[in-house]
Amino acid sequence: MMDVASLTSLADSVFFWGAFTFMVAVAIAGLGALRLALKGEAVTSLMGVSALTTAAGVSLYIIQIIFEVEFARDTAIALLVLGAVGTIIFARLFRMEEGE
Amino acid sequence: MIDEIFVILYGLAIIAFVAWNIKKGTFVIDPNKLIPSLIIVFVVLAIILVFNGVPFDTAVSVVGKIGAGGIMFAGVVPMIGAAIGLFRFGDEYGPNIFYARNHITGIIDTVASLVMIFGGLLIFRLDLVAVGFFFFVLIPFCGNALANAYYYSYQRRLEK
Repeated sequence: MMDVASLTSLADSVFFWGAFTFMVAVAIAGLGALRLALKGEAVTSLMGVSALTTAAGVSLYIIQIIFEVEFARDTAIALLVLGAVGTIIFARLFRMEEGE
Repeated sequence: MIDEIFVILYGLAIIAFVAWNIKKGTFVIDPNKLIPSLIIVFVVLAIILVFNGVPFDTAVSVVGKIGAGGIMFAGVVPMIGAAIGLFRFGDEYGPNIFYARNHITGIIDTVASLVMIFGGLLIFRLDLVAVGFFFFVLIPFCGNALANAYYYSYQRRLEK
């Protein structure tokens, strides 16, 4: 008979530290995206903001899972979906205004 | 104490394996063999736990959480690599560096969405899987729209 409590504790610990390490890595990638967003011309900035939105959305989702902060999930879904859709729309606008 | 040692060894092993794959530039073990082997190992682990008196739902939850933690550890190396790439490739490389940066942000998006999909599947969070899948579908359109906008606005003007 195995100790269920210690097994659950081990699994929770692995998941927590995995999620936490991934969140730190995403934050570092978010800093790179922020640097991209603050320099360069318009489309490069749009790309940086898009990557920053992804980083923020995933971090918020992980915060919701490991710390059970419920409002973070709604914010994360809004950031991830609207960030991607908004990037596509603004890229089309840039192309129409400055290109053809 | 045993928990912490296991977490450190497990995380370091996965991070080292992913880094080895990235350094080699291809898969060290063919994914057609690696993924079924991992699935079999986790199923056998769950069966062993059930036969040792652990309730079925607890055994599946424990194995799923350990797997999801492993997937998140595996996502660390590409994310750090993407961050290094974003800091490394500055404007001194000319206007075409935009496409390299577009590739790097695509890696950030792809790793994030794959971690959401497979992590969500292993911890039975279908909302996470749905959002990750929706995001995964949008990534190519996003990258293509950005590259298209850059080419037709900025780069064509530079060439003129």
